[in-house]
Amino acid sequence: MEQDAQLVQQCLQGDGSAWEELVRRHTRRIFNICYRFTGNRTEAEDLTQDVFLRVYRTLGSYRSAHGGFATWMTSVTRNLLIDHYRRTKRDRVTDSLDDAMPVVETKESVARRPDEQALLGELSGQVQSALTRLSPELREAVILRDLQQLEYVEIQRVLEVPEGTVKSRINRGRIELARILQQMGVRPA
Amino acid sequence: MTWTCEQTEARLSDYLDGLLDGAEWSAFNQHVNTCAVCTPLVSSVAHTLGGLYALEQVDPPPQLETRILLATVGVARSKFDFSAWLRSFLSPRFVYATVSVAATMALLLTATGFNWRKPKLADLAPATVYRRADSTIHVTYARSVKFVSDLRVVYEIQSRMNEGDQNPAMREETIPQSSPKKNPGQTDNTNPSAPKQQNRATDVSKRLEVLACEFPIWSGSLVDRREQ
Repeated sequence: MEQDAQLVQQCLQGDGSAWEELVRRHTRRIFNICYRFTGNRTEAEDLTQDVFLRVYRTLGSYRSAHGGFATWMTSVTRNLLIDHYRRTKRDRVTDSLDDAMPVVETKESVARRPDEQALLGELSGQVQSALTRLSPELREAVILRDLQQLEYVEIQRVLEVPEGTVKSRINRGRIELARILQQMGVRPA
Repeated sequence: MTWTCEQTEARLSDYLDGLLDGAEWSAFNQHVNTCAVCTPLVSSVAHTLGGLYALEQVDPPPQLETRILLATVGVARSKFDFSAWLRSFLSPRFVYATVSVAATMALLLTATGFNWRKPKLADLAPATVYRRADSTIHVTYARSVKFVSDLRVVYEIQSRMNEGDQNPAMREETIPQSSPKKNPGQTDNTNPSAPKQQNRATDVSKRLEVLACEFPIWSGSLVDRREQ
């Protein structure tokens, strides 16, 4: 975290390599948040680029006293994702459990048997598909807590809501996700 | 402490995250174990949480960082990644190509007589390589000729041809009336005083007769033509 703050300071002083290092350190995490929220790689790529563009333009407004750079960046990401959700709401087809064709994800090469890898890929696709059916406020809470492993306090800062609301959203999000998966006939083991 | 279904649903995440105190945890468990509604709910949410934790990080495309840098600072000033550069040499295609080239070079150098035990830079001079290659080719050719000559089949054919030369039934005129007078150094029945051309003609005639013996049907005409 301190290293991030130092890199930000160097960026503000015009050090291009410091910005490059920040991009290298956070691209993967931001891309994953965007991907889990949208369920679409292309959209996730574009949104990740937009996040970094906004961060680059507003870097001067970051204050380390208000929290870590990663939390601040996650907050920027969340705002952009909500904007994106609202912008594309009209274009989106109404969610239906029948049209969900879970996409098998391509993940890092982990030493698994091919059948295990295939099953896991299928399950991941189904969980991802169910995730995109959650309402955006529940989805972001679940993603930040269960996929990004953020603490309640950090989520509270990102979402700018009271801790009780954070807990409630996470709880409702998990229960809703379980119901969606059950309706899809999936039972994660 | 009594626990209701509403409480169970409201505190489910606290239970799963281990945030309930001892009394709450006991009451929660006591209720869930006896409630037909809450048992499947807790089970399905717990399994869903397992499914979420099993989701792995997705790799962003490699060009995304470059895209971001181009969109922000305008230039992708990526550092030279030495380890990535080294890793690129471990690709199967590169390794296969390298081994193939090395094996080909080793074969060519060995064929030109390059001494691997005492390698010298002078051995790689074009003139030396040519001379050795030429010598190697000739030696190899001579060895292969000798090998073919030593083959049993070839030996048998030569023996039969020689037998044909000495078979009295084949050529009546070749039956010696008396023991021919042999001169030192003379190994056949030819007259050393005769011209060389005549010796060759006689030799060809002998060969044709042997063939006539082996293939009487079609080679008879050859012999007849020869005699004419």
